[in-house]
Amino acid sequence: MRMGYGQRCSAIRLHEAGDLVGERVTRHDGKIDLVLHPDEIELLRELATQTATVLIASDEAVGANPVRDRLFPRAYDDPTEDTAESEWQSIVHPDLVKGKATALGGLLDDLDRVKTGSGGITTVDLSDEQMSTWVSALNDLRISLAVTIDLTEAQQEVPPSHVHAQGFAAYYFLSYLQGELLEMLTGPLDF
Amino acid sequence: MSSTETVQELLPAEIDETKVGPDTPWLVIVWDDPVNLMIYVVMVLQKLFGHSREKATKLMLQIHNEGKAVVSHGNREKAEADVARLHANGLWATLQRDSAT
Repeated sequence: MRMGYGQRCSAIRLHEAGDLVGERVTRHDGKIDLVLHPDEIELLRELATQTATVLIASDEAVGANPVRDRLFPRAYDDPTEDTAESEWQSIVHPDLVKGKATALGGLLDDLDRVKTGSGGITTVDLSDEQMSTWVSALNDLRISLAVTIDLTEAQQEVPPSHVHAQGFAAYYFLSYLQGELLEMLTGPLDF
Repeated sequence: MSSTETVQELLPAEIDETKVGPDTPWLVIVWDDPVNLMIYVVMVLQKLFGHSREKATKLMLQIHNEGKAVVSHGNREKAEADVARLHANGLWATLQRDSAT
């Protein structure tokens, strides 16, 4: 499990989009305004579309697609329970796909509502329910991307020259965004 | 060691141990993973199991520090349903008989 990536991600993304320095998430009138750079909006669209493609093909064989396997892991570790596993998958898999697809669709719909304000700042307003949808969708995007870039406990960072450097930067951005929305929804984690 | 004692030893303090017995032999395990944010795991555990913030945080830290934690228990049907709800939220969860842990 990870703590948030706020500081590291802020440094990466906000350096590239200097006009976005400052509060990214602000609450007013029962909603929040989320400031996003146009590149970030495009990134979110691209990743959500890619992950939706995996969902559509999610009935393919286990082992054929590692992203699919992580989004839809086995319930039973015990290989002698393969029959129970198959029965369980046949019952729950359609609903799992539907739930994840609905969240991704919600995120994509909200991205279509982005407004451009003074100074070219792009924002999207979200209700608490929409924020919850984003948190779920962002989690699946992070899971999918983590598999693609081979993020592990041992490899949490890569040098700029690494083949997955951009993927890691995108992953940190998603982590930052999810963490910001979660803190807005539930308050900071205190332990 | 009896089945009940095994379960009680594994269960976090937050779970009502009086409900554990031979008729509830399935455990739901959440495993640590490098992706899910701590604050996200806490939110999911609160949402799915009705834990307080404090209890969910303790459970999350057990997952993080020990690599896994038992988050619920019951008959097979309940355990399968809980695993499905955890998978719907992106947590890496499995179910197993308590004697297999």
